[in-house]
Amino acid sequence: MSGPRASRGMAGASRAGRYARRVLAVLIGAAFVFPFYWTVVISLGRPGEFSSFPPVLLPHWDWSNWSRAWHSAPWLRLFGNTVLIASCTVVLCLVTSLLAGFAFGVLRFPGRKFLSLVVLSVLMMPGTVLIIPDYVLANDLHLLNTYWIQIIPWGASVFGIFLVRQFFLTMPAEILDAAALDGASRLRFLRSIGIPMVRPALVIIAINVFLGSWNSFLWPVIMTNTNMESGDTVQPIEVGLSTFASAEGTDFPGLAAAVTFTTLPVMIFFLLLQRQFIRGALSAAGGVRG
Amino acid sequence: MTIATEASQAAAAPARPQRRGPARDFRATRWGWAYSAPAVLVFLAFVIVPTGYTFYVSLWKWNALNPALSKFKGLGNYQRLWDATQPTFLSSLWHSLYFTGAMVIGGTAISLALALLLQRGGALLNGTRVAVFLPHATPVIATSMIWTWIFNYKFGLADWALHSLHLPTSQWLQSSSSAMPAVVIYSLWHEVGFTTVVFLGGLAMLSDELSEAARVDGCSAWQEFWHVTWQQLKPVTVFVVAITAITSLQAFTQFYQLANGGPAYATTTLSYLVYEEAFVFSDTGYGAALAVVLFAVTVFFTLVRRRTASGDSHALV
Repeated sequence: MSGPRASRGMAGASRAGRYARRVLAVLIGAAFVFPFYWTVVISLGRPGEFSSFPPVLLPHWDWSNWSRAWHSAPWLRLFGNTVLIASCTVVLCLVTSLLAGFAFGVLRFPGRKFLSLVVLSVLMMPGTVLIIPDYVLANDLHLLNTYWIQIIPWGASVFGIFLVRQFFLTMPAEILDAAALDGASRLRFLRSIGIPMVRPALVIIAINVFLGSWNSFLWPVIMTNTNMESGDTVQPIEVGLSTFASAEGTDFPGLAAAVTFTTLPVMIFFLLLQRQFIRGALSAAGGVRG
Repeated sequence: MTIATEASQAAAAPARPQRRGPARDFRATRWGWAYSAPAVLVFLAFVIVPTGYTFYVSLWKWNALNPALSKFKGLGNYQRLWDATQPTFLSSLWHSLYFTGAMVIGGTAISLALALLLQRGGALLNGTRVAVFLPHATPVIATSMIWTWIFNYKFGLADWALHSLHLPTSQWLQSSSSAMPAVVIYSLWHEVGFTTVVFLGGLAMLSDELSEAARVDGCSAWQEFWHVTWQQLKPVTVFVVAITAITSLQAFTQFYQLANGGPAYATTTLSYLVYEEAFVFSDTGYGAALAVVLFAVTVFFTLVRRRTASGDSHALV
């Protein structure tokens, strides 16, 4: 893909132009990452120095903020809750997306058009609208303050279903012919041929659902109670962080330490899997080029 | 760019005529709906039926502690929308549209510019790509806290940067005139990584022949961009605008953590007001009426997007 032209839209770009482009890119990248660096600086600073200009730009390596913040909330429990909720949501989403994507992409049955319209309509009914009725529903079913209410309602994904469907639509019909001649059942076909075929889609879904679950806030803050003392909280870590922030609002270094150690796992997760993340964003765009 | 070709193949595939043969029998089954049932059940129970239930709740003076004691109000909650008591519905609707407009215009322009800068780069430009995408992958709660320090008027980086450039400093989140721009700046930082990558995906699928032809015809770089690149990017741009509009209308967490809807309700959007009325002021019925309006606005945006992209049945939004 690297043709004779170095860059589109920059006809006749000189060497100086290429350097300028790189310098600009590095500056922009640094600007986007700088807030994270500054958070680490604040977390290692002395509490008194956050009251005036100029801002502190180099760390003082004062780790006491970290231990103070670490001992102020049951972080490990909150972290475990988030991992549990996110993992269960991912498993559920993978199963529902695989089955429904197979149904809409491969199978032909009465009501297919109608059901896929039902699934698409979900995109128009967003979380802020649903929070009131779902809260009433969860209250009636005694599901408030449980893991269930944080997992099951997010156990299906329109994006996931349509991504799996797209992968099945590219499948050559010969594969189906062969499977049919072999007399394989549909479920066996799905297990032994379907899953390997749509694996890239499943990876993208898993990453996106995991991150979406990790980053969700309005839903858990409404559906669970703040009960940090008792040690048996079912709240995820982001809600814990928000509660911690409203309690310790002026302890900037302690709060910055908490922000750093709660965000670090997500960042490492992203950096390890960044190619798949970017693939996921690209596949979201793929749908528009019909 | 294998993803790009994969995706375009996927989009092109449905046009292929159905073949006859054993595959046809394999596809046809009366039980096909059962495969979609787990997903459909989740959506029915937690999305579709509750949306209808929101309409129902919006007709009552709802008693959150004991729904049996609720009083029927008819359209009373909807009449209240025009009340002048703060925070008013109309001002929150305006704040939602202001935020959405700023995010759509700013987000589309910035991510298109970034994508043009970062396309077909080496390791260095790929590193910038990852750096720009990183905020999008980190939680809104945690990163909003970071930005409350950046916007702090005593020791924050934002004022320090303005000061170093000899520009007038700002109160940012402390002032009702600058709070919303501050939330927009934060949200752009958090969101443009995703839309930049979407544009990069679009740029990778452009036809090289058209650009060559433009250059042979003596087009300037700007003319080539305007008549060739931009024209071909239109479907991707429509997608970016639609997804940014819908996520911005729903945005809640940054308003909660950065500004709590304030100061003086200056950042109380429709989404924030739904939460505040229902769960802070415990007026569930009125909150539901606001949610119905928010739903109507979302449907409107979605339908407009569908109409502007006719024959494009594979797009998700």
